[in-house]
Amino acid sequence: MATEKVDVVIVGAGASGSVYASVLARAGKKVVLLETGPDWELTDLISSEIWGRRIKPAGPPILLDGKNPVGYVAQAGWGSGGASLHYFANFPRLLPTDFRMKSEHGRGNDWPIAYEDVAPFYDKVAHEVGVSGDAKAEERWRPAGEAYPMPPTKTFRNGDIWLKAMEMSGLPLVPAPVGVNSVEFKGRPACLYDGWCHVGCPIGALANPQATFLGQARRAGAELRAFCTVTRVLTDQSGARVTGVEYYDDKHQKRTQEASVVILASWAAQNPRVLLNSASDKHPKGLSNASGLVGHFMMSHTVASTWALFDEDVQNHMGTVAVQYMSYQHYPKTSQKDAFGSTFWTAGFALKTADLANSRHDLFGAELDDYMKRAAHHLTGIKAFGEEVPTMENRVELVSDKDAFGMPLGKLTHTYPKDAVALWNANMEDGLKVAKAAGAKEAWVSRGVVPTAHLMGGTIMGTDPSNSVVNSYGQSHEIPNLWIAGPGIFPTEGASNPTYTVFALSQRGAEQMVMQWGALAN
Amino acid sequence: MGDIGRRGFVKGATFGALAFSVGGVEVLMTPHEARARNVPFRLLDGHQGETLEALGETLVPNAREAGIAHYIDQQLSVPAQESLLQARIFNFRPPFAEFYRKTIMTVDDGSRKLFGKEFAQLEAKDQREFVDRMRQNKVEDWKGRPAALAYAVLRADAVDVVYGTMEGYEALGIPYMAHIAPEKRW
Repeated sequence: MATEKVDVVIVGAGASGSVYASVLARAGKKVVLLETGPDWELTDLISSEIWGRRIKPAGPPILLDGKNPVGYVAQAGWGSGGASLHYFANFPRLLPTDFRMKSEHGRGNDWPIAYEDVAPFYDKVAHEVGVSGDAKAEERWRPAGEAYPMPPTKTFRNGDIWLKAMEMSGLPLVPAPVGVNSVEFKGRPACLYDGWCHVGCPIGALANPQATFLGQARRAGAELRAFCTVTRVLTDQSGARVTGVEYYDDKHQKRTQEASVVILASWAAQNPRVLLNSASDKHPKGLSNASGLVGHFMMSHTVASTWALFDEDVQNHMGTVAVQYMSYQHYPKTSQKDAFGSTFWTAGFALKTADLANSRHDLFGAELDDYMKRAAHHLTGIKAFGEEVPTMENRVELVSDKDAFGMPLGKLTHTYPKDAVALWNANMEDGLKVAKAAGAKEAWVSRGVVPTAHLMGGTIMGTDPSNSVVNSYGQSHEIPNLWIAGPGIFPTEGASNPTYTVFALSQRGAEQMVMQWGALAN
Repeated sequence: MGDIGRRGFVKGATFGALAFSVGGVEVLMTPHEARARNVPFRLLDGHQGETLEALGETLVPNAREAGIAHYIDQQLSVPAQESLLQARIFNFRPPFAEFYRKTIMTVDDGSRKLFGKEFAQLEAKDQREFVDRMRQNKVEDWKGRPAALAYAVLRADAVDVVYGTMEGYEALGIPYMAHIAPEKRW
């Protein structure tokens, strides 16, 4: 069954899809967002780690494989807002070195654009959604830009306790940029610092899509259809243009939504799955995949967590899950002697009881209970995010197993290259030194399973179809009215949390789409 | 949230408590209350419930009284997309009941080999030793998902029911500070 043709159909109502919907709807385009999960409202966001699981996927459309399987569900979204309904709203940016890894180091990929191309959109997004921070303080490590619209968020003892020790260890901290209101912003209230950001902020103090882009899009007339699962992107007979998408609606009825432009914005692993499942006689390997690169160069961040117990009460229930402090000091990719890649240091974040328990996986029984009582007021930590160099082997591919709609499941294979593991280990050693310098009563690092945080790659941008899937705006090299949005288009990942860059690139792509609309919509 | 699916979520989401069946009628209560009122399990049999309680209590003191078996049982009975179980976050493929059933069988097999009894019948010190072996993947002939993964999932469930509730925060002296509080203290 077909529905009325629209200008744009967006697959996924998360971070990137909501930006495109906002920009395009406000430009007068008829926009439909198809979202596989529910349409959440802010009032659905209960302050509970247990109930907070409702806003994450259930059951794998993506199977996990490799030596370091990605923590997929914990980080993925399900429903409007996507993963950015429960993200921590850390807003560090990529730095100039991230855009030229191959040129500077002979590894990984180069971006087809430079930092300077994205920087104006970082500034634009900051003023659009509200970012708190101290741009001047950051500019010791990055090119100058505009000031953030709000001063830094409050800090608490769980963050302040690290300041001197980090400085002494050669890792100076500055206030972290966060998408959390330190003061009232555009009618949205200031943060209450109760640490429930990760299960969804219902008061609008945190810049989730419901409070920002998605609201704008709706007010401009964009339509969001919940529980609609897209299985294929459709093309015309020549295969030169997409004509819409095939999807299953909330009653599991198969439908077609025709559109002048299709934007895939269903996160890094799902976008390749849809592209690969859209294979046809004109595109036997899947859409935009003549080069065979769709699904490849999947990347994640290592996280080196250092935990410490202090004698004093560090108020670890207070603050945001977004961090209070950060450092780019070890961001240069050769900062560590025996490991390659950028490191992004963070300190000061609120903890909940699950965090306390997870900081000592090995404890159970009476020992765990004793530890929980001590950790309740005395535990805090620092975290270092580490980069991995993109490789072809880390990939999403289709398997024969199928979902409820008959669509092949995806399999995400991920193994950290040796350098990433070496960087993780080096960062943990640094963390232990910092904790000792801070006077921690006890300090330890979480070794064993190498953590995976964030997911990028799979539909990377580049200069041409021989080295990439899309151009710097997210437009398919092969099919001009097919666009891809989100962290999947990153050719390298840096070490910074990705969502600020996702917002900035989406803003840039959406504005470009509006500018070239006449040619696109033919 | 849109109309579709809202009905499915509203039972728990609005009231915080879970829907348990009492005399053919759905009643909202916490797992602790469900256990105290001896509410029958929906999917688990008595032995499975007893084993989950024993595993939970070994992992986190007071998990039995907090109603870990009733919590898992009730959550296994709802559609996967409404589930609050940690199995969801560990990327298990629904139905999640398979994991619990197989784990209980494997735990009992291993327990019989090591100690000559099913897990729930062991003395506390032997239950502790067995769980410690699970943690380290050192249970011989373990079948299914790795023992250390089963340890992690069951431990996380037990942490939820004991420490993840408003009562759990209160017991640890941590202010809960909810924006939207789960009623009935969940």
